[in-house]
Parts: sequence; C-alpha cells; structure tokens
Amino acid sequence: MRLRHLRDRSLALGCLVGVWMASAQIAGPTVVPGPFATLDALCRMAGQAAYWASIAQSLRVFAMAFGLAALLAIPCGIGFALVPRLGRAMEPFVFALAATPRVAFVPLLIVLLGLGDPAKVALVFLGASIPILLNTWAGVRHADPDLVEMARAVGVSRWQRVAWVILPAALPMMVTGLRLGATIGLINTVVAELYTAIGGLGGLLARYGASFRMAEYMAIVVTLSVVGVVISSGLYHLEKFVKHRME
Amino acid sequence: MTLAPPAISFQDVAQVFATKSGPLTALGGVNLEVAQHEFVAVLGPSGCGKSTLLRLTSGLMMPSAGQITVLGLPVTRPREDVGIVFQQPTLLPWASVEENVVFPVKHTKGRVGPAHRDRAREILETVGLGGFGKRLPGELSGGMQQRVGIARALFLNPDLLMMDEPFSALDALTRDEMGYELLRLWQASPKTVMFITHSIPEAVLLADRVLVMSERPGRVIADLKVPLGRPRSEESLRAPEVQEFAAHLRSLLIKPAKPSPKPEAA
Repeated sequence: MRLRHLRDRSLALGCLVGVWMASAQIAGPTVVPGPFATLDALCRMAGQAAYWASIAQSLRVFAMAFGLAALLAIPCGIGFALVPRLGRAMEPFVFALAATPRVAFVPLLIVLLGLGDPAKVALVFLGASIPILLNTWAGVRHADPDLVEMARAVGVSRWQRVAWVILPAALPMMVTGLRLGATIGLINTVVAELYTAIGGLGGLLARYGASFRMAEYMAIVVTLSVVGVVISSGLYHLEKFVKHRME
Repeated sequence: MTLAPPAISFQDVAQVFATKSGPLTALGGVNLEVAQHEFVAVLGPSGCGKSTLLRLTSGLMMPSAGQITVLGLPVTRPREDVGIVFQQPTLLPWASVEENVVFPVKHTKGRVGPAHRDRAREILETVGLGGFGKRLPGELSGGMQQRVGIARALFLNPDLLMMDEPFSALDALTRDEMGYELLRLWQASPKTVMFITHSIPEAVLLADRVLVMSERPGRVIADLKVPLGRPRSEESLRAPEVQEFAAHLRSLLIKPAKPSPKPEAA
C-alpha cells in the first residue's frame, strides 16, 4: 500500500516536472527557467549565508506573529464562547475582519509601523488569528452538552467543567484552527515581505523578480513551498494525533 | 424512632418549558413516591416527560411548581448520594475507563487516593470489566461503554440510582444481556432505583413497581405492582400472570385505536 502511494506520487511528480520543462521550452528559459536551471540556482544559493539568513528572517516574523495570534486568539475564542453575550456582540465584527482581504491593511500598517518587522508581524497576526479564533470559538461552543451535563450531575463546579470537560473537548478544533492559521500566516508573511520589499524570502522574491534573475526567483518559489509543506504537514500530523487521542 | 422517609417524593410537580411557539407543559401535576430500596420503572411513550422527571429528581433542573424531596430533603442541586446513568454512556473519550469511573471524585474532591483506585477496580470487576481499566472508551463496544457509565454511577455507592433509558442505545441482544446484568447487580446490593424506559419487558423484568405516564403533559396514570417475586430470571417472564400484566401495560400505553376503515369487498 505504502509502496503504491510512493509510486503514484513519483509518477505525479514526474508529470509536473514534465509540464514545467515543456513550459520552459515554450516560453524560453529567460522567462521560465527549467527544473535544472532552478536546481542549479538553488544549489548556488544554498552555499550563501544570505539565503539562510532570509529563511531565518521569514521564519522569525512568522513565528512571532503566529505565537502572538495563538496567545491572543485562543483566550478570546474561549471567552466569546463561554460568555455568549460577549460572543454575540463581537460576532459581526470578527466576521467583517475575516471577510476583509488582509492585504487591504498593508498601506495602513506601513504608515503606522514602518517597513520593518512590526508591520510584517502585524499583517501575519491579522491573517493567522482569525482561523484560530473562529475554530476555538466553535470548538468550545459545541463541546458535547451531554458530557457537560454529566459533569454537572456528578457535582463538578462550573470552572472545573470548563477546565476538565469543555476545553479538552474543544482541543481538536483548536489544533485545526492553529493549522489553518499557520497556512494563512505563511502566505501573509511572504505577502508582507513582497509589499515592503525588504528582507526575508519575500524580499528576495521581489529583488530577483525585479532584476529578471528568473532561475533564482524560481529557486525561492521552491523554497517557499518546501517551508510551507514542512510546517503545515507538521501541524497536520499534530492535528491527527490530537483528534485520535481526544475523540 | 421515626419512620424512614421515602427515597423520592413528588408533590404536584409541574414543569413548563418556554419554547419559540409558547410555553410547553412537559409535566402536569405529578405525584409519586418511591420507597427506599425499591426498584421503580417509569414507563411512558416518547416525549412524555420521563427524562424531565429524572432530571428533576437528580437536581439538574428545578420544577416550575410543586415540591420534590429525596431522602427527606428538598432537591436544590445534584447530590453525591444520587448516581445517574444516562441514555448515552457519556464518557470522556480522552480519559481511560478507570479515569472515567473516578471522575466524580477527581474533579470535586481534587485528589484520587489509592482507596478510590481500589474502589474503581472493584466496581469495574463487578460490572464485568475487570482488566479494562486502562483502555480508552473508544476501544470498547457500546454495551461495555454503558457498563462503564453504570460503574461511574455506582462508584460512590449512592443510595439512589437514576437510570434514563440506559439500554435504549444498544442493540437488542446486548440490551437483554444488560437487563439481566442489572438484575444481578441489584440483587447483590438493592438500592433505590428509578428506571426510565419505554420498554415493557424491561420494566416488568426489573421493577418492583411500574409507574405509567400519559402523553404530554406527562402525568402518572397508573401505579402497578409487578406480580413477580425475586430472584427473577428469563423464565419468570413466561408466567401467564406476567404475560397478562405486560398486556395490561401495553393497553395503557397504546391509545385506543381509531375506528378502522370498513373492509373493502373482496
């Protein structure tokens, strides 16, 4: 079974590389560099400290914003769910923020916070916090009412019910929120760096794109997708583990 | 010496719920009494307020009118000497079987001592789940999960056991098996039991007395002693007077049939 998956995936990868090579042929290597040119550029960059520093810089922005989002959005989601009046009051505004493209805040954030890390962190935070908030909120609100009543029936106090029944029951949804928040956060990290055109992988992308160094540009794109896959598959496995353990 | 108070007593208890389409009377003036160590089945059609009756007795809900006392004291909130078995096993899916059984002390008293652990193992043994303490609920069958629910209710050795259609979510075979199991448990240590059910055979097999409820608004329309001694077994149900009793219960539950349409000429 495993082997078959591997074979199927290798086949799919082969097809994708084929399409890539074909488009490089058709568009010309100066516009779309082929897989070999990209790999060559990637190897060259991997030998340079600047490449690794850019990855570290992007990850730092992402980690700060994501940590901040988790730290604020989880308690807010719990609070909105446990105090329904508060939740009802906040609901339309949270949904309004969720529906607004976060890119719309870029000029405002740059004016407010400048071109450095604070503006980037703020933009990533805005993106990552919404799914964490919404999923935590829903998870706590929909904690199995039968379990809550059981706890009440055996004399467990309200706060202990929250701590020992409601929050554990909501944990899988919270982890789902974290995974979705991380995916959006990663996208927003690159968006923020592209708009400020300074630092990180997004900054390199802007620089190589503007100077038509397409092989390097493509190498950064590949780097971004590898980083994205590593982080989101890590969280995906965490989510699977938590769901398996808690449900 | 004073006379022992009834285990459960309802005086003119009414329960009205506010719904979108106006007030809904779930219970309309219920009077009943359950003596200590008596096994009483409450039998009624779906939606007759049987579960409301149980929630009121357990202190999960306050009545709109009337008075309820348990062991001589008015009910104000859930009490420790009342064990409840729900329709669903309602086990914490992330906690082991043993953790689920000790849950009532773990989160009210804070500490689970070795005496509690021993008690949990003992009660699991009693319900036939010895050696399953470390398993997670998800690894158990529906019947075994409900046994854990029963073990949790019996854990603090309550004077009163409230059971809300505890076997209704199980398949027919397991359901019968659990009925005999409960009979065995009760015969070993007779507690006051209020057993909510809509199954006539279940009520007849288990109870000393059957309270029949009407459709909404729920009222007690009959209070009948089961003509069966103890101990009971599968054969007890075959006795003609028991069959007759069951038929009588059925006639009380099923409303008089509508006049049947005239048979068409063949």
